This record gives sequence, structure tokens and C-alpha cells, in this order.
Amino acid sequence: MSALLIFGLLFGLMLTGMPISISLGLTVLAFLFTMTQVPIESVGLKLFSGLDNFGIMAIPFFILAGSFLTRGGVARRMIHFTTSLVGHWPGGLGLAGVTACALFAAICGSSVATVAAIGSIILPAMVQQGFPKRFGAGVITTSGALGILVPPSIILVLYGVSTNTSIGTLFMAGIVPGVILALMLASVTWFIAWRNNYPRLPRASWAERLRALHDGIWGLMLVVIVLGGIYSGIFTPTEAAAVAAVYSFVITVFVYRELKLSEVPKVLLNAANLSAMLLYIITNAVLFSFLMTHEQIPQAMAAWIVEQHFSVWVFLLVVNIILLLAGNVMDPSSILLIMAPILFPLAVNLGVNPIHLGILMVVNMEVGLCHPPVGLNLYVGSGIAKMGISEITIAVLPWLFAMLIFLVMITYIPEISLWLPKTLGVLR
Amino acid sequence: MESLTAGGFSSSPGARETYVFLRILDRLEEILIASLMAAATLIIFVAVVQRFAVGVPLLYPLVYNINLTWAQELCIYMFIWMAKFGAAYGVRTGIHVGVDVLINMLDQIWRKRVVLFALFCGALFTAIVGTMGAKFVIELYPTDQVSPDMEIPSWLVYLCIPLGSYLMCFRFLQVAWAYYWTDKLPHHDQAHVEGVEEFDRHAAGPHAGGAR
Repeated sequence: MSALLIFGLLFGLMLTGMPISISLGLTVLAFLFTMTQVPIESVGLKLFSGLDNFGIMAIPFFILAGSFLTRGGVARRMIHFTTSLVGHWPGGLGLAGVTACALFAAICGSSVATVAAIGSIILPAMVQQGFPKRFGAGVITTSGALGILVPPSIILVLYGVSTNTSIGTLFMAGIVPGVILALMLASVTWFIAWRNNYPRLPRASWAERLRALHDGIWGLMLVVIVLGGIYSGIFTPTEAAAVAAVYSFVITVFVYRELKLSEVPKVLLNAANLSAMLLYIITNAVLFSFLMTHEQIPQAMAAWIVEQHFSVWVFLLVVNIILLLAGNVMDPSSILLIMAPILFPLAVNLGVNPIHLGILMVVNMEVGLCHPPVGLNLYVGSGIAKMGISEITIAVLPWLFAMLIFLVMITYIPEISLWLPKTLGVLR
Repeated sequence: MESLTAGGFSSSPGARETYVFLRILDRLEEILIASLMAAATLIIFVAVVQRFAVGVPLLYPLVYNINLTWAQELCIYMFIWMAKFGAAYGVRTGIHVGVDVLINMLDQIWRKRVVLFALFCGALFTAIVGTMGAKFVIELYPTDQVSPDMEIPSWLVYLCIPLGSYLMCFRFLQVAWAYYWTDKLPHHDQAHVEGVEEFDRHAAGPHAGGAR
């Protein structure tokens, strides 16, 4: 009953178009004030203590690192490197785009930043080479989604923080699925390009490849620093993110000189703006999950599910449907912050591994990013390619279909996500 | 990024002083959050480097007596302050995302009513939170409670809740006021998040960013 009331109020407020953070907060205040004896003052304290966690602080750091990295230099050299490796295959630049997105995703935690960084450089080049615009836009918009699956990932940090799961393990679990998805997207690209006989590039010599590797080494080193640093135990994920932010500042401003020192305050301000928005949703989502726990809603749902004798199979199907539907109205961080604390206890109850659930949620978010009405990747892609939303929606269909197949694989083959952490002994 | 600045107010009566005050407020807000972002990053970076240097025999004598255990705490507090003031700045730049599927289907008059209602809800929520925060800070003020590592008075740490929330409340009212008169909402162009501006600038000409 109270669950119905809470969600009814929440959706009612959301539909007025107010910020999701505000509708979460108001729902909590209204409910606590009218229906319970909880002292409202404790809510005020939660607004501070909800953020009092060093793990969360990885988010602003990764956003800042992303803001520096999207300034061109690193992405351009990565594209140059991947082009020298795969450019001579059918769909040359397209394949290079997928690979570059996967590499860039390994230093950047956001899908939108990945699409922006790689897309703004490779799309004009593809059009110039004689690829149809649609093809290029489709490849980059969907491959950019790798940004939140391949570690580091802001969405995985959010999941880790809101469910108390190890961020390091989550990052590790994202590697194999990331590689598989990149391969699947690349196969679609290859197939379409081969069927339509799209242009190829001349094969690069090994000397050229080495030179491209040498040029791009500063950016590629970041992969080693972030992932190597976390797994060798030198840094926590948050410290790795801070080091990545400083490192990307240094290479963009001093090594590649893509950014003037006088432009840095603007980058800082933009990163702060975006981070504050996310942190504000987090604070209010913490309030909301406090209300959920207080009203024992996840427990009630868990009891109900056990009563219905739902199998894991059906449960995961329902989870996917709910998440895909939510992806039609909300952005990934909000969905994750609202749903993770609810789904987590249910999943654990049914014996679903929390790490598996995390990766599954992220893949769902990826699909949501690539279709209208709220898919941010689409909007970024359409901004870069100067294409209308409906046109780009059709353009991404082949890759989106591959992504859905991938989602089914991730859902029903937990080993894809769990194999690497298990083999390395981080997960029992 | 299109942002609502004090400019929208220049035509209202009694203008000049209000205008200057608002411009200063805008600038302070921007400087504060950008500096907090930079400072927090540097502090954690220095702490990591110091810990690393302690492990290197040659550098050990130089760094072993620097104590940076407070770095994490300071970083968290800086980011919380940044989050509270940045959220207010975000209202002005329109970055807070909402669900706009329904309101886009409404006709002009109803759309305006619903949007104004949503903005007032925002103002209401932040006002309540600000007041709760203020009460909390006032209760803490006479106590000698301090933060665990740095031993800063707790009331000072928590001061960001009332200050940030009231500022955010003010921003919501400001946006509502401007929307009522001009039908314009600040809109954060999401396709331009993080740096595509660089690419687009040549096509679209210089745009009004946050920091000028």
C-alpha cells in the first residue's frame, strides 16, 4: 500500500518535468511528514551524510578527466592508431571507430564523452572518405555506449556505491563483456561494409603502426595507470580517478597542447556543473532508498516474489523489461540510483550474483542510451553528424539489434561477467 | 551551453544595483565551484604522490614527516560543498534533467502552468531543506563538535546545506520569474556535454558559456 503511494507520488511529480532529484526529495519529505513519525530533521542530516563517502568522489574525478580527454588530442591519436591496425579491412574507418571507442572507454567513464570525443573526429573523416553519414553515425552512437561498460565507468561506480559492492570487482567484471560487445558491434560494422562495398584504406606498414602507437602512447598509458593502479592495489578507484584527472590535464594542456591554460577554468566549471548534478541526484536517491528501507518495501517485494515461486529466469526477464521501459523516460544515472537499491536485495534473495546484476543493469542502460526519446548518445551523435533524431534512430538499428542480443547473452550467461573476477580470485 | 544570467533582470524596475549584485553572485558561484573542483583534485593527487614517494628510499627523508591523512576528509567536504553550490548553479544552466515526455504534449497554456508548478516545487523543496539545515547548524553552533580528522567545527562543515539550498531556492525562483515573463527556460544542450563545443564553435560561432 505505502509502496503504491510512494511510487504514485514519485511518478506524478516526475511527469511535471521537474528535475528527478527534486521529485525524489519531495516524495520522501511528503511521505515522511504525513505518514510516519520519523523526525524530519534526520532527513537534513542525510543530505550531507549521503555523500560522505570517498567512493562516490570517484565520480567528479572521472568526469573531470573525461572533460579534459574529450578535448581532442588523445582521441585523435587513438583513432590514428586503431586506423593503422584495422583500416584496411572492409569498413575500415568504421572498424577503427569501434576499436577507438573501446580504447577510449578504457580511460573514460562516460558514454556521452566517448561518443563526443571519438565521433567529432572520426565522423567528418568518414564522410570525407565516402561513407554514408548514416553508417558513421550508427557505428559511433552505439559504440560510444561501451564507455559505461568498459572500466572505468561512472555508472558502475554509482552501482557499487549504492549497493555496497566492490567497485574494483565491478570494473574487472566489465572487461570481458566490453570486449565481447565491441567484437559484436565490429562484426555488424564489418558485415554492412562488406555487403555494400564501402571504401577501405591502404594497409598500413608495421613501421606506421609503431609510429601511431608511439604518438598515442600518452593516452594509452592512462589505461595502464587507471586499471593497473587499481588492480595492483596502488590506488583505490577514487585515487585512480584523481590521478587520471591530473594526468589528462597535463597531457591535454602541456603535451598535446590542445587546450590553452586560460581555457582550463571553463573545463573545470563544466565538469563541476555535471558532477554537482549527479551528486545532487545521489543525495536525493539516498533519501529515497532510506524511505524504501524504512517502509521495508524491498523486503515486502522479496517476500512476494518468493511466494510466487518465480524462477531466476523470469525474475531477470522482468528486471530487463522494467529497466528497458525506464530507459524510455529517464537517464541512466537516475534509473540506476532508484532501481539498484530495490533490485539488489531481490536479486541476492534469488541467488543472483550482485556483480552480475550490476553488469546487467549497465547493459540495459547502454541500450537506453541508444534509442529515443531520452537516449543521450543519439542526441550527441545527431549533434555531431548534423542529422535529425528520427534519421539517426533508424541509422543505429542494426547495431542496436546486436546490443539487444548481447543483453540476452549477459542476462542468461552470468559467466560472461563473472569469469574474469573468478579466475583472478577476486570473487568466490 | 545557454545559461540564464543576471541579464534577464536588467529590465526589471530598480535595476542597476540588483543587476550588479546578481552578476557578482553569479561570478562568485562559478569561481567557488570551479576552485573546489581543482583543489580537491590536487589534494588527492598530492596525497597519492606523497604515499608513493614514501616508498622510494631516495625520497623518503623528504616526505616521511608530511601527514596527509586529512586529505580524504577535506576532499569529501570540498566535493559536498561543490555539490551543494553546483546544484544551484545547475538550476541556472538547466542541467538538472527531468522527464519531459508529458509536458511536451501539453498545449502552451497548460505547459506553462505545469512548468511553473514544477519550478515552485523545486523552490519549496530547497527552502524546506535549507531551513532544516539552518536549524541543524544553529543547534550545532554552541557545541564543540568537530570533524574526525581535521577537527574543523562541525557547524562550519554543515553550513553548506543551508547556504547551498537557499541559493538553489533563489535560483529556482529566478528561473520561474524569467520563465513567467519571457517563456524561456535555461536549457543545457545535452548534445554539447563535455567538449564537443570545441568542434562546433567554428560552425555555430562563439556561444555563451558559463565562464566568460
